[in-house]
Amino acid sequence: MSDSVLRDLRELRVQVIHPPDDEGKNLVDHLKRIGCNVDAAWPIPDAASEHADILMLAIDFHARDAIRRLLRGHGENAAAVIAVVDYENPSTLQLVLESRALAVTEKPIRPFGLLTTIILARTLWLERRRTRRQIEKLEAKLAGQHKIQRAKAILIQSQGMNEDDAHTTIRKQAMAKRTSMEDIASAIITANELLTTKFSRA
Amino acid sequence: MTKHSWRVGLLFSQTGATGAVERTALQASLLAIEEINSAGGVLGSPLEAVVTDPQSVPANYGVQAERLLNTERIKLIFGCYMSSTRKLTIPVVEALRGLLFYPTLYEGFEYSPNCIYTGACPNQNSIQLARYLLHVHGNRFLMVGSNYVYPYETNRIMSDLVVQGGGKVLDEIYVPLNAESRDFTRALRQIDKLKPDVVFSTVVGAATALFYERYHDTFGSERAPIASLTTSEAEVADMRPEVAEGHVTAAPFFETLGTPAARKFVGSYKERFGPDAPVSACAEAAYFQMHLVARALRRTGTDDPDMLLRELREAEFDAPQGRVKIDAQNNHAYLWPRVARVDARKKFQIVWNPGVRVKPDPYCVVQSLDDWSADPLTPLPA
Repeated sequence: MSDSVLRDLRELRVQVIHPPDDEGKNLVDHLKRIGCNVDAAWPIPDAASEHADILMLAIDFHARDAIRRLLRGHGENAAAVIAVVDYENPSTLQLVLESRALAVTEKPIRPFGLLTTIILARTLWLERRRTRRQIEKLEAKLAGQHKIQRAKAILIQSQGMNEDDAHTTIRKQAMAKRTSMEDIASAIITANELLTTKFSRA
Repeated sequence: MTKHSWRVGLLFSQTGATGAVERTALQASLLAIEEINSAGGVLGSPLEAVVTDPQSVPANYGVQAERLLNTERIKLIFGCYMSSTRKLTIPVVEALRGLLFYPTLYEGFEYSPNCIYTGACPNQNSIQLARYLLHVHGNRFLMVGSNYVYPYETNRIMSDLVVQGGGKVLDEIYVPLNAESRDFTRALRQIDKLKPDVVFSTVVGAATALFYERYHDTFGSERAPIASLTTSEAEVADMRPEVAEGHVTAAPFFETLGTPAARKFVGSYKERFGPDAPVSACAEAAYFQMHLVARALRRTGTDDPDMLLRELREAEFDAPQGRVKIDAQNNHAYLWPRVARVDARKKFQIVWNPGVRVKPDPYCVVQSLDDWSADPLTPLPA
Protein backbone atom coordinates (compact mmCIF):
# COMPACT_ATOMS: atom_id res chain seq x y z
CA MET A 1 0.00 0.00 0.00
CA SER A 2 2.53 2.59 1.15
CA ASP A 3 4.88 1.08 -1.40
CA SER A 4 2.39 1.59 -4.22
CA VAL A 5 2.08 5.31 -3.42
CA LEU A 6 5.81 5.57 -4.06
CA ARG A 7 5.55 3.46 -7.17
CA ASP A 8 2.73 5.57 -8.56
CA LEU A 9 4.57 8.82 -7.86
CA ARG A 10 5.17 9.49 -11.53
CA GLU A 11 1.52 8.94 -12.41
CA LEU A 12 0.44 11.63 -9.97
CA ARG A 13 -1.14 14.69 -11.50
CA VAL A 14 -0.42 17.76 -9.46
CA GLN A 15 -2.16 21.05 -9.98
CA VAL A 16 -0.28 24.05 -8.62
CA ILE A 17 -2.40 27.10 -7.90
CA HIS A 18 0.20 29.68 -6.99
CA PRO A 19 1.27 33.02 -8.47
CA PRO A 20 3.94 32.50 -11.14
CA ASP A 21 6.65 34.21 -9.05
CA ASP A 22 10.02 32.76 -7.93
CA GLU A 23 8.37 30.59 -5.28
CA GLY A 24 5.82 29.27 -7.75
CA LYS A 25 8.57 28.55 -10.23
CA ASN A 26 10.65 26.71 -7.59
CA LEU A 27 7.64 24.64 -6.67
CA VAL A 28 6.81 23.67 -10.25
CA ASP A 29 10.47 23.01 -11.08
CA HIS A 30 10.92 20.63 -8.18
CA LEU A 31 7.69 18.77 -8.90
CA LYS A 32 8.94 18.27 -12.46
CA ARG A 33 12.32 17.16 -11.13
CA ILE A 34 10.57 14.53 -9.02
CA GLY A 35 8.75 13.49 -12.17
CA CYS A 36 5.12 14.33 -11.34
CA ASN A 37 2.76 15.61 -14.03
CA VAL A 38 2.41 19.26 -13.19
CA ASP A 39 -0.15 21.75 -14.32
CA ALA A 40 0.06 25.31 -13.03
CA ALA A 41 -2.93 27.63 -12.82
CA TRP A 42 -3.18 31.31 -11.96
CA PRO A 43 -5.24 33.38 -11.25
CA ILE A 44 -7.22 31.14 -8.92
CA PRO A 45 -9.78 29.26 -11.04
CA ASP A 46 -13.33 28.61 -9.89
CA ALA A 47 -12.59 24.93 -9.49
CA ALA A 48 -9.57 22.66 -9.29
CA SER A 49 -8.85 20.52 -12.31
CA GLU A 50 -11.00 17.39 -12.16
CA HIS A 51 -8.01 15.36 -13.34
CA ALA A 52 -5.76 16.40 -10.46
CA ASP A 53 -4.75 13.96 -7.72
CA ILE A 54 -2.99 16.62 -5.66
CA LEU A 55 -3.82 20.31 -5.43
CA MET A 56 -1.03 22.55 -4.15
CA LEU A 57 -2.85 25.69 -3.16
CA ALA A 58 -1.19 28.96 -2.19
CA ILE A 59 -3.01 30.19 0.90
CA ASP A 60 -2.79 33.87 0.21
CA PHE A 61 -4.95 35.78 2.64
CA HIS A 62 -5.57 38.58 0.13
CA ALA A 63 -7.04 36.06 -2.27
CA ARG A 64 -9.28 34.51 0.38
CA ASP A 65 -12.52 35.13 -1.50
CA ALA A 66 -11.26 33.36 -4.60
CA ILE A 67 -9.84 30.53 -2.48
CA ARG A 68 -13.15 30.06 -0.68
CA ARG A 69 -15.00 30.06 -3.99
CA LEU A 70 -12.72 27.34 -5.30
CA LEU A 71 -13.01 25.29 -2.12
CA ARG A 72 -16.82 25.44 -2.08
CA GLY A 73 -17.00 23.07 -4.99
CA HIS A 74 -14.10 20.95 -3.79
CA GLY A 75 -15.82 17.76 -2.65
CA GLU A 76 -14.47 14.82 -0.72
CA ASN A 77 -13.50 12.95 -3.84
CA ALA A 78 -11.62 15.88 -5.34
CA ALA A 79 -7.82 16.20 -5.22
CA ALA A 80 -5.90 16.07 -1.94
CA VAL A 81 -5.07 19.62 -0.90
CA ILE A 82 -1.57 20.63 0.16
CA ALA A 83 -1.59 24.16 1.54
CA VAL A 84 1.35 26.35 0.57
CA VAL A 85 1.68 28.92 3.33
CA ASP A 86 3.82 31.94 4.11
CA TYR A 87 2.28 32.95 7.45
CA GLU A 88 1.26 31.05 10.53
CA ASN A 89 -1.20 33.59 11.91
CA PRO A 90 -4.76 32.59 12.87
CA SER A 91 -6.30 34.15 9.74
CA THR A 92 -4.04 32.04 7.52
CA LEU A 93 -4.56 28.97 9.70
CA GLN A 94 -8.32 29.43 9.42
CA LEU A 95 -8.01 29.27 5.63
CA VAL A 96 -5.75 26.22 5.88
CA LEU A 97 -8.41 24.47 7.97
CA GLU A 98 -11.16 25.48 5.56
CA SER A 99 -9.14 24.06 2.71
CA ARG A 100 -9.18 20.66 4.46
CA ALA A 101 -5.50 20.39 3.60
CA LEU A 102 -3.91 17.01 4.33
CA ALA A 103 -0.43 18.50 4.41
CA VAL A 104 1.27 21.85 4.46
CA THR A 105 4.44 23.15 2.89
CA GLU A 106 6.05 26.41 3.94
CA LYS A 107 7.54 29.23 1.96
CA PRO A 108 10.28 29.78 1.00
CA ILE A 109 9.95 26.54 -0.95
CA ARG A 110 12.80 24.12 -0.27
CA PRO A 111 13.21 21.05 -2.45
CA PHE A 112 14.05 18.87 0.53
CA GLY A 113 10.84 17.66 2.16
CA LEU A 114 8.45 18.28 -0.70
CA LEU A 115 8.50 14.64 -1.81
CA THR A 116 7.65 13.50 1.72
CA THR A 117 4.81 16.02 1.95
CA ILE A 118 3.30 14.81 -1.31
CA ILE A 119 3.61 11.15 -0.36
CA LEU A 120 1.98 11.73 3.03
CA ALA A 121 -0.88 13.78 1.58
CA ARG A 122 -1.54 11.16 -1.09
CA THR A 123 -1.41 8.32 1.44
CA LEU A 124 -3.81 10.12 3.79
CA TRP A 125 -6.16 10.86 0.92
CA LEU A 126 -6.20 7.22 -0.18
CA GLU A 127 -6.76 6.08 3.39
CA ARG A 128 -9.62 8.51 3.82
CA ARG A 129 -11.19 7.35 0.58
CA ARG A 130 -10.92 3.75 1.73
CA THR A 131 -12.42 4.61 5.10
CA ARG A 132 -15.21 6.56 3.46
CA ARG A 133 -16.04 3.65 1.16
CA GLN A 134 -15.94 1.26 4.08
CA ILE A 135 -18.35 3.44 6.02
CA GLU A 136 -20.70 3.65 3.04
CA LYS A 137 -20.62 -0.11 2.74
CA LEU A 138 -21.28 -0.60 6.45
CA GLU A 139 -24.12 1.92 6.40
CA ALA A 140 -25.69 0.12 3.46
CA LYS A 141 -25.28 -3.17 5.24
CA LEU A 142 -26.82 -1.79 8.41
CA ALA A 143 -29.78 -0.43 6.47
CA GLY A 144 -30.14 -3.88 4.88
CA GLN A 145 -30.17 -5.53 8.30
CA HIS A 146 -32.92 -3.17 9.41
CA LYS A 147 -34.97 -4.09 6.36
CA ILE A 148 -34.51 -7.80 6.98
CA GLN A 149 -35.60 -7.33 10.59
CA ARG A 150 -38.71 -5.49 9.48
CA ALA A 151 -39.52 -8.10 6.82
CA LYS A 152 -39.15 -10.86 9.39
CA ALA A 153 -41.50 -9.04 11.75
CA ILE A 154 -44.07 -8.81 8.93
CA LEU A 155 -43.80 -12.52 8.20
CA ILE A 156 -44.05 -13.43 11.87
CA GLN A 157 -47.15 -11.32 12.25
CA SER A 158 -48.94 -12.10 9.00
CA GLN A 159 -47.90 -15.72 8.42
CA GLY A 160 -47.57 -16.86 12.01
CA MET A 161 -43.96 -17.94 11.52
CA ASN A 162 -41.33 -18.01 14.21
CA GLU A 163 -38.15 -15.97 13.71
CA ASP A 164 -36.05 -18.84 12.39
CA ASP A 165 -38.68 -19.78 9.81
CA ALA A 166 -39.01 -16.16 8.72
CA HIS A 167 -35.27 -15.94 8.23
CA THR A 168 -35.12 -19.22 6.31
CA THR A 169 -37.99 -18.13 4.09
CA ILE A 170 -36.30 -14.90 3.12
CA ARG A 171 -32.98 -16.66 2.53
CA LYS A 172 -34.54 -19.37 0.34
CA GLN A 173 -36.45 -16.79 -1.70
CA ALA A 174 -33.24 -14.84 -2.21
CA MET A 175 -31.43 -17.97 -3.39
CA ALA A 176 -34.25 -19.04 -5.66
CA LYS A 177 -34.46 -15.61 -7.30
CA ARG A 178 -30.67 -15.18 -7.30
CA THR A 179 -30.86 -11.94 -5.43
CA SER A 180 -29.91 -10.62 -1.99
CA MET A 181 -31.87 -11.09 1.22
CA GLU A 182 -32.18 -7.30 1.37
CA ASP A 183 -33.97 -7.24 -1.97
CA ILE A 184 -36.42 -9.88 -0.83
CA ALA A 185 -36.91 -7.99 2.42
CA SER A 186 -37.64 -4.80 0.45
CA ALA A 187 -40.18 -6.67 -1.66
CA ILE A 188 -41.94 -8.00 1.45
CA ILE A 189 -42.02 -4.56 3.02
CA THR A 190 -43.40 -2.97 -0.16
CA ALA A 191 -46.01 -5.69 -0.60
CA ASN A 192 -47.04 -5.32 3.00
CA GLU A 193 -47.36 -1.57 2.63
CA LEU A 194 -49.52 -2.01 -0.49
CA LEU A 195 -51.74 -4.54 1.20
CA THR A 196 -52.20 -2.57 4.38
CA THR A 197 -52.91 0.55 2.33
CA LYS A 198 -55.61 -1.34 0.39
CA PHE A 199 -57.25 -2.71 3.50
CA SER A 200 -57.27 0.60 5.28
CA ARG A 201 -59.10 2.13 2.32
CA ALA A 202 -61.62 -0.64 2.16
CA MET B 1 48.32 45.00 -5.42
CA THR B 2 47.95 41.52 -3.92
CA LYS B 3 48.14 38.69 -6.37
CA HIS B 4 44.68 37.26 -7.02
CA SER B 5 43.96 33.54 -7.05
CA TRP B 6 40.75 31.51 -7.27
CA ARG B 7 40.65 29.66 -3.97
CA VAL B 8 38.72 26.38 -3.92
CA GLY B 9 38.15 23.96 -1.04
CA LEU B 10 38.95 20.25 -1.39
CA LEU B 11 36.98 18.27 1.19
CA PHE B 12 38.16 14.68 0.71
CA SER B 13 39.31 12.24 3.40
CA GLN B 14 42.86 11.01 3.11
CA THR B 15 42.57 8.72 6.12
CA GLY B 16 39.89 6.50 7.64
CA ALA B 17 37.42 4.00 6.12
CA THR B 18 37.00 5.69 2.73
CA GLY B 19 40.37 7.46 2.64
CA ALA B 20 41.75 5.37 -0.24
CA VAL B 21 39.03 6.15 -2.77
CA GLU B 22 38.63 9.76 -1.62
CA ARG B 23 42.38 10.24 -2.06
CA THR B 24 41.97 9.34 -5.75
CA ALA B 25 39.34 12.08 -6.06
CA LEU B 26 41.55 14.54 -4.18
CA GLN B 27 44.55 13.81 -6.38
CA ALA B 28 42.48 14.04 -9.57
CA SER B 29 41.19 17.43 -8.40
CA LEU B 30 44.77 18.56 -7.79
CA LEU B 31 45.85 17.23 -11.19
CA ALA B 32 43.10 19.21 -12.90
CA ILE B 33 44.10 22.35 -10.97
CA GLU B 34 47.73 21.91 -12.05
CA GLU B 35 46.67 21.48 -15.66
CA ILE B 36 44.47 24.56 -15.51
CA ASN B 37 47.24 26.62 -13.90
CA SER B 38 49.97 25.50 -16.30
CA ALA B 39 47.67 26.59 -19.13
CA GLY B 40 47.55 30.09 -17.65
CA GLY B 41 44.94 29.69 -14.93
CA VAL B 42 41.56 31.38 -15.15
CA LEU B 43 41.58 34.91 -16.59
CA GLY B 44 45.24 35.24 -15.61
CA SER B 45 44.85 34.01 -12.04
CA PRO B 46 45.71 30.53 -10.81
CA LEU B 47 43.38 28.18 -8.94
CA GLU B 48 44.55 27.63 -5.38
CA ALA B 49 43.49 24.49 -3.51
CA VAL B 50 42.75 24.65 0.21
CA VAL B 51 42.88 21.01 1.25
CA THR B 52 41.23 19.65 4.38
CA ASP B 53 41.02 16.05 5.63
CA PRO B 54 37.76 15.06 7.37
CA GLN B 55 39.23 11.60 8.14
CA SER B 56 36.12 9.69 6.97
CA VAL B 57 34.16 10.98 9.98
CA PRO B 58 30.77 12.34 8.78
CA ALA B 59 30.52 15.07 11.45
CA ASN B 60 33.87 16.52 10.35
CA TYR B 61 32.56 17.27 6.86
CA GLY B 62 29.98 19.79 8.04
CA VAL B 63 32.42 21.43 10.42
CA GLN B 64 35.20 21.68 7.85
CA ALA B 65 32.82 22.88 5.12
CA GLU B 66 31.76 25.66 7.46
CA ARG B 67 35.40 26.59 8.10
CA LEU B 68 36.13 26.68 4.36
CA LEU B 69 33.12 28.88 3.67
CA ASN B 70 33.24 31.13 6.74
CA THR B 71 36.87 31.40 7.77
CA GLU B 72 38.61 30.80 4.47
CA ARG B 73 35.98 32.79 2.56
CA ILE B 74 35.82 30.11 -0.10
CA LYS B 75 32.68 29.71 -2.21
CA LEU B 76 33.38 26.50 -4.10
CA ILE B 77 33.90 23.15 -2.39
CA PHE B 78 34.79 19.92 -4.16
CA GLY B 79 34.31 16.83 -2.08
CA CYS B 80 32.38 14.21 -0.07
CA TYR B 81 32.03 10.51 -0.71
CA MET B 82 29.57 8.71 1.57
CA SER B 83 25.99 10.02 1.46
CA SER B 84 26.14 10.60 5.20
CA THR B 85 28.98 13.08 4.64
CA ARG B 86 27.18 14.87 1.81
CA LYS B 87 23.99 15.15 3.90
CA LEU B 88 25.94 17.02 6.57
CA THR B 89 27.77 19.26 4.11
CA ILE B 90 24.84 20.41 1.98
CA PRO B 91 22.90 22.29 4.71
CA VAL B 92 26.08 24.23 5.53
CA VAL B 93 26.73 25.01 1.87
CA GLU B 94 23.10 26.11 1.40
CA ALA B 95 23.09 28.32 4.49
CA LEU B 96 26.41 29.98 3.66
CA ARG B 97 25.62 30.32 -0.05
CA GLY B 98 28.42 28.15 -1.34
CA LEU B 99 28.45 25.50 -4.03
CA LEU B 100 29.39 21.84 -3.59
CA PHE B 101 30.70 19.65 -6.41
CA TYR B 102 30.11 16.00 -5.54
CA PRO B 103 31.97 13.48 -7.74
CA THR B 104 30.55 10.27 -6.27
CA LEU B 105 27.89 7.79 -7.30
CA TYR B 106 25.03 7.77 -4.80
CA GLU B 107 21.48 6.45 -4.33
CA GLY B 108 19.55 9.45 -5.72
CA PHE B 109 16.51 11.26 -4.24
CA GLU B 110 18.21 14.51 -3.69
CA TYR B 111 18.45 17.91 -5.27
CA SER B 112 20.05 20.93 -3.76
CA PRO B 113 20.31 24.11 -5.79
CA ASN B 114 23.76 24.44 -4.15
CA CYS B 115 25.15 21.10 -5.33
CA ILE B 116 26.32 19.73 -8.66
CA TYR B 117 26.34 15.93 -8.75
CA THR B 118 28.84 14.45 -11.21
CA GLY B 119 28.79 10.80 -10.10
CA ALA B 120 26.26 8.21 -11.28
CA CYS B 121 22.75 7.90 -9.87
CA PRO B 122 20.95 4.52 -9.99
CA ASN B 123 19.56 4.82 -13.51
CA GLN B 124 23.15 5.26 -14.69
CA ASN B 125 24.71 2.21 -13.04
CA SER B 126 22.23 -0.12 -11.26
CA ILE B 127 20.04 -0.91 -14.28
CA GLN B 128 23.03 -1.70 -16.47
CA LEU B 129 24.69 -3.83 -13.79
CA ALA B 130 21.46 -5.75 -13.18
CA ARG B 131 20.96 -6.35 -16.91
CA TYR B 132 24.46 -7.70 -17.25
CA LEU B 133 24.33 -9.92 -14.17
CA LEU B 134 20.90 -11.36 -14.95
CA HIS B 135 22.01 -12.13 -18.48
CA VAL B 136 25.40 -13.61 -17.74
CA HIS B 137 25.43 -14.96 -14.19
CA GLY B 138 21.91 -15.84 -13.11
CA ASN B 139 19.08 -14.43 -11.04
CA ARG B 140 19.60 -15.62 -7.47
CA PHE B 141 21.18 -12.71 -5.59
CA LEU B 142 22.48 -12.27 -2.07
CA MET B 143 23.15 -8.74 -0.78
CA VAL B 144 25.95 -7.77 1.59
CA GLY B 145 26.38 -4.10 2.51
CA SER B 146 27.76 -1.55 4.94
CA ASN B 147 25.24 -0.31 7.43
CA TYR B 148 24.19 3.16 6.20
CA VAL B 149 21.80 4.86 3.80
CA TYR B 150 23.48 4.19 0.44
CA PRO B 151 23.54 0.38 0.77
CA TYR B 152 19.90 0.20 1.94
CA GLU B 153 18.53 2.27 -0.90
CA THR B 154 20.81 0.66 -3.49
CA ASN B 155 19.72 -2.80 -2.35
CA ARG B 156 16.08 -1.75 -2.62
CA ILE B 157 16.65 -0.73 -6.23
CA MET B 158 18.70 -3.82 -7.08
CA SER B 159 16.12 -6.14 -5.44
CA ASP B 160 13.43 -4.53 -7.57
CA LEU B 161 15.44 -5.15 -10.72
CA VAL B 162 16.22 -8.74 -9.75
CA VAL B 163 12.52 -9.45 -9.17
CA GLN B 164 11.67 -7.80 -12.51
CA GLY B 165 14.17 -10.17 -14.09
CA GLY B 166 12.31 -13.15 -12.61
CA GLY B 167 14.94 -13.64 -9.94
CA LYS B 168 15.08 -13.77 -6.19
CA VAL B 169 16.96 -12.07 -3.37
CA LEU B 170 18.04 -14.83 -1.01
CA ASP B 171 19.22 -12.65 1.86
CA GLU B 172 20.28 -9.12 2.73
CA ILE B 173 23.04 -8.74 5.30
CA TYR B 174 24.61 -5.58 6.74
CA VAL B 175 27.99 -5.16 8.41
CA PRO B 176 29.37 -2.16 10.33
CA LEU B 177 31.00 0.61 8.31
CA ASN B 178 34.43 -0.19 9.74
CA ALA B 179 33.80 -3.94 9.53
CA GLU B 180 36.48 -6.32 10.69
CA SER B 181 37.12 -9.79 9.38
CA ARG B 182 34.76 -11.52 11.83
CA ASP B 183 31.86 -9.24 10.87
CA PHE B 184 31.63 -11.12 7.55
CA THR B 185 31.30 -14.57 9.08
CA ARG B 186 27.50 -14.63 9.01
CA ALA B 187 27.39 -13.37 5.41
CA LEU B 188 29.86 -16.04 4.29
CA ARG B 189 27.88 -18.74 6.09
CA GLN B 190 24.68 -17.64 4.33
CA ILE B 191 26.45 -17.56 0.96
CA ASP B 192 27.74 -21.08 1.59
CA LYS B 193 24.27 -22.28 2.54
CA LEU B 194 22.22 -20.49 -0.13
CA LYS B 195 24.68 -20.64 -3.07
CA PRO B 196 23.62 -17.44 -4.87
CA ASP B 197 24.48 -16.81 -8.54
CA VAL B 198 25.64 -13.30 -7.64
CA VAL B 199 26.76 -11.64 -4.42
CA PHE B 200 25.84 -7.96 -4.65
CA SER B 201 28.14 -5.93 -2.42
CA THR B 202 27.45 -2.43 -1.19
CA VAL B 203 30.28 -2.69 1.30
CA VAL B 204 32.29 0.53 1.02
CA GLY B 205 35.79 1.67 1.89
CA ALA B 206 38.53 -0.36 3.55
CA ALA B 207 36.14 -3.18 4.51
CA THR B 208 35.71 -3.98 0.81
CA ALA B 209 39.11 -5.64 0.38
CA LEU B 210 38.59 -7.49 3.65
CA PHE B 211 35.28 -8.91 2.43
CA TYR B 212 36.65 -9.97 -0.98
CA GLU B 213 39.69 -11.58 0.71
CA ARG B 214 37.55 -13.61 3.08
CA TYR B 215 35.18 -14.54 0.26
CA HIS B 216 38.07 -15.85 -1.79
CA ASP B 217 39.63 -17.68 1.15
CA THR B 218 36.30 -19.38 1.86
CA PHE B 219 35.19 -20.32 -1.65
CA GLY B 220 38.34 -20.33 -3.80
CA SER B 221 38.25 -19.49 -7.49
CA GLU B 222 35.14 -21.57 -8.33
CA ARG B 223 32.76 -18.98 -6.93
CA ALA B 224 29.95 -16.66 -7.92
CA PRO B 225 31.12 -13.14 -8.76
CA ILE B 226 30.75 -10.28 -6.32
CA ALA B 227 29.10 -7.40 -8.13
CA SER B 228 29.34 -3.81 -6.95
CA LEU B 229 28.95 -0.14 -7.82
CA THR B 230 31.60 1.02 -5.35
CA THR B 231 34.42 -1.49 -5.71
CA SER B 232 36.72 0.64 -7.86
CA GLU B 233 40.38 0.57 -8.81
CA ALA B 234 41.09 2.09 -5.37
CA GLU B 235 39.53 -0.81 -3.45
CA VAL B 236 40.95 -3.48 -5.79
CA ALA B 237 44.46 -2.04 -5.24
CA ASP B 238 44.39 -3.46 -1.72
CA MET B 239 43.54 -7.01 -2.86
CA ARG B 240 45.69 -9.94 -4.02
CA PRO B 241 45.15 -10.61 -7.76
CA GLU B 242 43.45 -13.98 -7.24
CA VAL B 243 41.09 -12.35 -4.72
CA ALA B 244 39.95 -9.66 -7.14
CA GLU B 245 39.74 -11.69 -10.32
CA GLY B 246 36.32 -12.28 -11.85
CA HIS B 247 34.38 -9.71 -9.83
CA VAL B 248 32.18 -7.18 -11.57
CA THR B 249 31.62 -3.42 -11.18
CA ALA B 250 29.47 -0.91 -13.06
CA ALA B 251 30.68 2.68 -13.39
CA PRO B 252 30.96 5.42 -16.03
CA PHE B 253 34.74 5.20 -16.06
CA PHE B 254 37.45 2.57 -15.71
CA GLU B 255 41.19 3.04 -15.81
CA THR B 256 41.40 0.70 -18.81
CA LEU B 257 38.95 2.65 -20.98
CA GLY B 258 41.00 2.91 -24.13
CA THR B 259 39.81 6.19 -25.65
CA PRO B 260 42.44 8.88 -26.30
CA ALA B 261 40.89 11.18 -23.68
CA ALA B 262 40.88 8.41 -21.07
CA ARG B 263 44.47 7.39 -21.86
CA LYS B 264 45.64 10.96 -21.59
CA PHE B 265 43.96 11.43 -18.21
CA VAL B 266 45.17 8.10 -16.78
CA GLY B 267 48.68 8.74 -18.15
CA SER B 268 48.91 12.19 -16.54
CA TYR B 269 47.53 10.85 -13.27
CA LYS B 270 50.07 8.01 -13.06
CA GLU B 271 52.89 10.28 -14.12
CA ARG B 272 52.00 12.63 -11.31
CA PHE B 273 51.08 10.16 -8.55
CA GLY B 274 52.99 6.99 -9.46
CA PRO B 275 52.49 4.13 -11.92
CA ASP B 276 50.60 2.04 -9.38
CA ALA B 277 48.27 4.83 -8.25
CA PRO B 278 44.69 3.60 -8.89
CA VAL B 279 42.40 5.85 -10.94
CA SER B 280 38.75 5.43 -9.95
CA ALA B 281 35.49 6.66 -11.48
CA CYS B 282 35.33 9.14 -8.59
CA ALA B 283 38.75 10.45 -9.63
CA GLU B 284 37.54 10.91 -13.18
CA ALA B 285 34.44 12.80 -12.05
CA ALA B 286 36.55 14.93 -9.69
CA TYR B 287 38.86 15.69 -12.63
CA PHE B 288 36.23 16.69 -15.14
CA GLN B 289 34.16 18.71 -12.68
CA MET B 290 37.21 20.87 -11.87
CA HIS B 291 37.80 21.54 -15.55
CA LEU B 292 34.11 22.26 -16.02
CA VAL B 293 34.23 24.81 -13.21
CA ALA B 294 37.39 26.47 -14.58
CA ARG B 295 35.69 26.93 -17.92
CA ALA B 296 32.59 28.38 -16.28
CA LEU B 297 34.79 30.73 -14.21
CA ARG B 298 36.43 31.98 -17.40
CA ARG B 299 33.01 32.85 -18.79
CA THR B 300 31.51 34.46 -15.72
CA GLY B 301 34.64 36.07 -14.28
CA THR B 302 33.29 35.44 -10.77
CA ASP B 303 32.93 32.53 -8.37
CA ASP B 304 29.53 33.76 -7.24
CA PRO B 305 27.54 30.50 -6.99
CA ASP B 306 24.39 31.86 -8.65
CA MET B 307 26.32 33.15 -11.66
CA LEU B 308 28.33 29.94 -11.93
CA LEU B 309 25.24 27.76 -11.66
CA ARG B 310 23.61 29.59 -14.52
CA GLU B 311 26.73 28.96 -16.61
CA LEU B 312 26.99 25.29 -15.59
CA ARG B 313 23.43 24.35 -16.50
CA GLU B 314 23.39 22.46 -19.78
CA ALA B 315 27.21 22.84 -19.91
CA GLU B 316 28.85 20.06 -21.92
CA PHE B 317 32.41 18.88 -21.47
CA ASP B 318 34.65 16.31 -23.13
CA ALA B 319 35.50 14.26 -20.06
CA PRO B 320 37.79 11.19 -20.10
CA GLN B 321 34.64 8.98 -20.07
CA GLY B 322 33.13 10.81 -23.06
CA ARG B 323 31.14 14.01 -23.47
CA VAL B 324 29.22 14.76 -20.29
CA LYS B 325 26.56 17.38 -19.62
CA ILE B 326 25.01 18.94 -16.53
CA ASP B 327 21.24 18.56 -16.57
CA ALA B 328 19.60 21.97 -16.20
CA GLN B 329 16.67 20.63 -14.25
CA ASN B 330 18.32 18.44 -11.59
CA ASN B 331 22.03 19.47 -11.42
CA HIS B 332 23.17 15.88 -12.04
CA ALA B 333 25.39 14.80 -14.94
CA TYR B 334 24.63 12.87 -18.12
CA LEU B 335 27.10 9.95 -17.98
CA TRP B 336 28.23 6.85 -19.89
CA PRO B 337 27.39 3.59 -18.02
CA ARG B 338 29.80 0.67 -18.40
CA VAL B 339 30.26 -2.74 -16.82
CA ALA B 340 33.72 -4.22 -16.20
CA ARG B 341 35.21 -7.41 -14.80
CA VAL B 342 38.53 -7.67 -12.98
CA ASP B 343 41.14 -9.75 -14.81
CA ALA B 344 44.06 -11.80 -13.44
CA ARG B 345 46.24 -8.68 -13.29
CA LYS B 346 43.68 -6.76 -11.22
CA LYS B 347 42.69 -4.62 -14.21
CA PHE B 348 39.03 -3.85 -14.90
CA GLN B 349 38.27 -5.12 -18.39
CA ILE B 350 35.11 -3.62 -19.83
CA VAL B 351 32.66 -6.41 -20.64
CA TRP B 352 29.69 -4.29 -21.62
CA ASN B 353 29.92 -0.83 -23.08
CA PRO B 354 26.42 0.13 -24.23
CA GLY B 355 27.77 3.28 -25.90
CA VAL B 356 24.85 5.37 -24.69
CA ARG B 357 24.98 8.59 -22.72
CA VAL B 358 22.29 8.40 -20.04
CA LYS B 359 20.29 11.32 -18.69
CA PRO B 360 20.34 11.43 -14.87
CA ASP B 361 17.03 10.61 -13.18
CA PRO B 362 17.69 10.98 -9.44
CA TYR B 363 14.02 10.72 -8.42
CA CYS B 364 13.20 7.47 -10.16
CA VAL B 365 11.43 5.21 -7.64
CA VAL B 366 10.91 2.32 -10.01
CA GLN B 367 13.85 1.59 -12.27
CA SER B 368 12.84 -0.53 -15.21
CA LEU B 369 14.92 -3.18 -16.92
CA ASP B 370 12.71 -2.73 -19.96
CA ASP B 371 14.14 0.72 -20.50
CA TRP B 372 17.24 -1.06 -21.69
CA SER B 373 15.65 -3.73 -23.82
CA ALA B 374 16.37 -1.70 -26.96
CA ASP B 375 20.00 -2.49 -26.49
CA PRO B 376 20.55 -6.24 -26.66
CA LEU B 377 23.45 -7.45 -24.62
CA THR B 378 25.42 -9.20 -27.33
CA PRO B 379 27.89 -10.59 -27.95
CA LEU B 380 28.44 -11.95 -24.51
CA PRO B 381 31.74 -12.61 -22.87
CA ALA B 382 32.40 -16.14 -21.62
